[in-house]
Amino acid sequence: MDILQALLNGFGVALEPLNLLLVVLGCLVGTLIGVLPGIGPISGVALLVPLTFALKMPPESALILLAGIYYGAMYGGSTTSILLNIPGETSSVVTAIDGNKLAKQGKAGPALAMAAWGSFIAGTLSVVGLMTLGPLLAQWAIRFGPAEYFALMVFGFSTLSALAGKNLFKALIATGFGLMLATVGQDPQSGISRYTFGFLQLEDGMDFLVVAIGLFAVSEVLMLLEEKTPGAVRAQVGRIYLSFKDFMGSLFTILRSSVLGFLIGVLPGAGASIASFVAYTTEKRLLGDKARFGEGDLRGVAAPESANNAAAGGAMIPLLTLGLPGSGTTAIMLGALVSLGVTPGPQMFQQHPEVVWGLIASMYVGNAVLLLLNLPLVGLFVRLLAVPAWFLIPAVLAISFIGVYAVNNNPFDLLLMAVFGLVGYLMRKLEFPLAPVLLGLVLGYLMEINLRRAMTISNGDVGYLFSSPIAVGLWVLAGLSLLAPVLVARFRKQGLGGDEEL
Amino acid sequence: MTDRIVGILILLLALGYGLEASRMQVGFLSDPLGPRPFPYIIATLVGLSALWLIFKPDPNPTWPAPRFWPVLGLVLLSLVAYAYLVVPLGFILTTTLEMTLLSLLFGARWWQGLLGALAFTLAVYFLFTEGLGVTLPAGRIFG
Repeated sequence: MDILQALLNGFGVALEPLNLLLVVLGCLVGTLIGVLPGIGPISGVALLVPLTFALKMPPESALILLAGIYYGAMYGGSTTSILLNIPGETSSVVTAIDGNKLAKQGKAGPALAMAAWGSFIAGTLSVVGLMTLGPLLAQWAIRFGPAEYFALMVFGFSTLSALAGKNLFKALIATGFGLMLATVGQDPQSGISRYTFGFLQLEDGMDFLVVAIGLFAVSEVLMLLEEKTPGAVRAQVGRIYLSFKDFMGSLFTILRSSVLGFLIGVLPGAGASIASFVAYTTEKRLLGDKARFGEGDLRGVAAPESANNAAAGGAMIPLLTLGLPGSGTTAIMLGALVSLGVTPGPQMFQQHPEVVWGLIASMYVGNAVLLLLNLPLVGLFVRLLAVPAWFLIPAVLAISFIGVYAVNNNPFDLLLMAVFGLVGYLMRKLEFPLAPVLLGLVLGYLMEINLRRAMTISNGDVGYLFSSPIAVGLWVLAGLSLLAPVLVARFRKQGLGGDEEL
Repeated sequence: MTDRIVGILILLLALGYGLEASRMQVGFLSDPLGPRPFPYIIATLVGLSALWLIFKPDPNPTWPAPRFWPVLGLVLLSLVAYAYLVVPLGFILTTTLEMTLLSLLFGARWWQGLLGALAFTLAVYFLFTEGLGVTLPAGRIFG
């Protein structure tokens, strides 16, 4: 009954006119970002955070907006995958396999409708999961001391590094680079300046937004400049409908993929992209000859699209209950919340119930909004692709300038943004994953402070870090997670092997 | 080969980072651990990973065509110039110029790029300053 009461209060928050407006706005912006190739959800969220600061939004409103963009992008990403074989987001890459075949067979309408319904069901189920599992995990984590938190962050970084890229060591370097950036500025405990090299502007540390916008948005612009993206494209949508028979045929795929995607989303590091991939491969193996995956099967659209939306919901669990973001996008949400005076973690369920339950309730609303937006309006969104690149991409950069400048009203940040733009471009070229940098930067401070608190408690005895069963368990999990790339590689191989057969 | 060079550069970064930590002056008013060990841990992690990269590099990446490098340099230079000029010249002028430059690089005709850039810059300038209360530099030279 507690949960129902809390949820009811949450709806009270979510249905306030401002928050209702922000859910719709977030879903709309998210869908746009999803549809437009080249602008990822991380850039989108990073570009809108300064707006929440400028408007002095309460933390729950800011989170409602940012989360709306995040799961909205999961909806929108499928559209271009299906219609044009151009995935709007990495989480919709697999959708293109069957989705685009369907579109070529003249079944774009059913495919788009299936993506929307699958996303809706999965999104709603994942909120139910978040609502029931979140408080339980928070209750358990409330006993965490500094040693457990330090071990938790080591675990978070090791899973992220293991899953983020192709090369574990490049991911580890990216994580370490982020942690290096986190140590820039005044040391909170001894008060001395570290790594500022005499720049007064660095005393307060690197701002995560400046780094995020440079690393993701600016480097995306540079990549697009290199690739010389083909100009505007037009696509035919047709009528969006889904027969009852098709829907029932895919229902179990949607349900299975939702559960799978949700569980993968909870894991730090394994985000929507991995979820969509694993769900597609699992369904393909499970259905075997009963399905025609790869030739244009609706279930090939339903599986990844359900999984990526469920993963977006699942990713909220570690963020809200442990304060441990599992992806670049949730890392920015964490940074934004901290800047707004709310530190996510187990205490948040008690100290800021309006933030947690307001967000949960808003996600129910948002999923319904997205279904309503997407079914009739897909055609309208697709027409946006006709906006030429020469206008769209410079416009994204102009918005980046505003976002970066608005953080501190300091042009020095624009300089930093340019530097990180180049760093991001080189990292993409050399296949270093970018998200770990952001996580390192956002979590580095907490990681160090917990390590130092633990050492203060134990008076310098390192054994204290391994003194509780929970801490030891987390250290073991952290070690095991470094083996995950082997598993992922096996999954990839099977998936690719399957493709070659077809 | 590229990865080897990158690995060496990262190794140097890690060494420099660790060395800088060792030179930090710590007063008496500190916790048992102090400000140095956490950077040491990071330097070790990055240094060891860089060594691995040097011994087991990935295949070379596909670098862009040689004529892209001047373009990239131009864009980066313009971003640096933007950072220095935005306060004296104001948001509207600098952003219009920057957007026009990029539009041209993305294949627009000069009048298309200029018009699109000016219209968009004016629109967002007034949306953010008047509508949303964000302060953007108006430009010192205009008084």
